[in-house]
Amino acid sequence: MTLMESEAIVLRTYPLREADLLVTLFTRAEGKVRGVARSAKKSKRRFGGALEPMTYVRAFYDVRERQELARLDACEVLESPLANEVSYARAVALAHLAELLDELLPDHEANDAIFRLTLSVLHALTGSDVWMPVTYFDLWLTRLVGFLPELTGCIVCGRSLNDSRAYFHALADGLMCPEDKRLASSEISSESRALAALMFRAPVDSFAGEPWPKAQGADLRKFVIQALQRNIEKKLVTAGMLEKGGF
Amino acid sequence: MSKFAEPMSRLIDELKKLPGVGSKSAQRLAFYILRASDEDAEALAAAVRDVKASLRLCSVCNNITDVDPCVYCTSATRNQRLVCVVEEPTNIAAIDKTKHFNGVYHVLHGSISPLHGVGPEQLRIANLITRVDAGNVDEVIIATNPTVEGEATATYLSQQLKRVGVKVTRIAMGIPVGSDIEYTDEITMLKAMEGRREL
Repeated sequence: MTLMESEAIVLRTYPLREADLLVTLFTRAEGKVRGVARSAKKSKRRFGGALEPMTYVRAFYDVRERQELARLDACEVLESPLANEVSYARAVALAHLAELLDELLPDHEANDAIFRLTLSVLHALTGSDVWMPVTYFDLWLTRLVGFLPELTGCIVCGRSLNDSRAYFHALADGLMCPEDKRLASSEISSESRALAALMFRAPVDSFAGEPWPKAQGADLRKFVIQALQRNIEKKLVTAGMLEKGGF
Repeated sequence: MSKFAEPMSRLIDELKKLPGVGSKSAQRLAFYILRASDEDAEALAAAVRDVKASLRLCSVCNNITDVDPCVYCTSATRNQRLVCVVEEPTNIAAIDKTKHFNGVYHVLHGSISPLHGVGPEQLRIANLITRVDAGNVDEVIIATNPTVEGEATATYLSQQLKRVGVKVTRIAMGIPVGSDIEYTDEITMLKAMEGRREL
């Protein structure tokens, strides 16, 4: 039995037996870890609000050989999403981050770049203006897990798309030129492609403070979400909720 | 081959479906029922049948009831202009136990839970707005859980209700009675400080 201590972000909890919780953590040291928090449902004294989704904690847990689930001993809150007002938009955005991390991260594989990305986006996601942090997170996460297709050339003919219109399709793994686009393709604007290039060069803080309506980068988000869903072969619940959320 | 007679196995299987009941507990309960008198066993069966046949949701507050509107909504001694919004019918008992709340309730039957695909449209919010819009309510107390989901529901409700022009309040959050400040986590302490009141 090894006692581990790591910074972590709580992704999800599920009820387990009468009073326990099954907790999915994204730890800095070990990547995604699943563990059991004993009596967490019945007694709030031990874990308090530390097991709320997207809480940044210092987690203490036991890892046992040949056992899939760790035993979560304690969680010390470092930053909580409850410290700021939780609007409907923010709740959906936080759940979106949690769902993506839970779906995309492999178990027990540390990824410091994604951990730092998540923390920086959480810092930017303190109000109800969710579209910039969500777009930034979706784009960067897709790139970091290796699912982001090339944005500068047509996947069919190889032609550069820098000076032309570009299209994407749910079943195509990249962008297409007007001549090679499939039926029912959607267009991704040159502004959104430029925005993606800009987001790859600048930290999330540099976009804070700018007004960011839902329409800005909507085509880019749709393209990225389609790429993720194609690779994980399932629909993301929160992606649909974000789009029809009306905020 | 099952180690029990078929009716016994069937009863154990059905009891195992109850929350918090495992195989051993189901066996114990089944044997208890077997040993109970015919009247007791029949009373249990009748109670299970009746709960499904006679209970429904109150058309005013969505509480589980056998009469519509429910006893809270028809009570002459309760303040019908003060509405407390809760997530589940079981929350009503916890609030009523205090004997300090004399208003009525509104049950949402859940909270906003994006990870489970539950948005405001899946909750029973529309008839709360209609109820308040009719002008018969002075204050709405939002008593959803102090979780991310409960807070999101509370914020959403307050935005919707303030448009109608009613006073909206949120139950206080903070340190449980009988506990020690030394062992309080940061976020509970923050909420306790935010919700402090003048003495």
